Amino acid sequence: MSEPNTAGERGPLLPLVAVGAAAGTMSGLLGVGGGILLVPAMVILIGFAQHRAQATSLAAIVPIAAVGALVFGRAESVDFGAAALLVVGSLVGVQVGTRLMHRLSAEALARVFGVFLVIIALAMLFG
Amino acid sequence: MSPEQILQLVELILIGLAAGFLAGLLGIGGGVFMVPAMVLILGMDQHVAQGTSLLVIIPAALTGSYAHYRRGSLVLRDALVLGAGGVVGAFLGAVLALSLDDELLRKLFAGFLLIVAARILLPKEMLRRKAPTQEV
Repeated sequence: MSEPNTAGERGPLLPLVAVGAAAGTMSGLLGVGGGILLVPAMVILIGFAQHRAQATSLAAIVPIAAVGALVFGRAESVDFGAAALLVVGSLVGVQVGTRLMHRLSAEALARVFGVFLVIIALAMLFG
Repeated sequence: MSPEQILQLVELILIGLAAGFLAGLLGIGGGVFMVPAMVLILGMDQHVAQGTSLLVIIPAALTGSYAHYRRGSLVLRDALVLGAGGVVGAFLGAVLALSLDDELLRKLFAGFLLIVAARILLPKEMLRRKAPTQEV
């Protein structure tokens, strides 16, 4: 399978800004990073390879989540004690996950991504 | 510390562990997992769960993207362009979320998960068909 974008090549400016703005709005509204929109949008609309889309998404989430957290924090809608404990767990988890990602194929990753979403959606519906 | 408090402490660390793992594996912040977990397992308000999730996402995404950067799989300029559009949207989205009622926001979140699940599972075949037709 041919990939339109190779690593090191620059992505298109305006589509990236537009995808960022859409994902940012979703992130602030729903309290998620926005990667769930960023990754498929970069793969389907811009033509990034799965691994590149996921790496770019994770980095863009840093400023996006910071702005959202600031607005929620000012409204006293942040539990700092819970956040501290979640951070401890997530910092360990993210290292394991990142290492495993490089051992899996792009197709396996996309499948894991899809299955993961269905599980969460069902949990929200019947939980 | 009461047994309930210790249990909640362990639950929070385990939820964080699972969320961070998914963030590193799938390139997402893990909020999609964390928000329902905080609401369903810990009984937190939807608004507080979302605000807390955003704060937790920052260090996880930061360390995860640094690992990608060291491996050479991250083009920093692309992430900055993406993030520039993202911060404007994030501000507007967060202000909108705070204006909504807790129950409505929770329903909105559940609906969003269903739409995203359907979208991810459907375009796979569309992508496969698209590749050859572009060449012909």
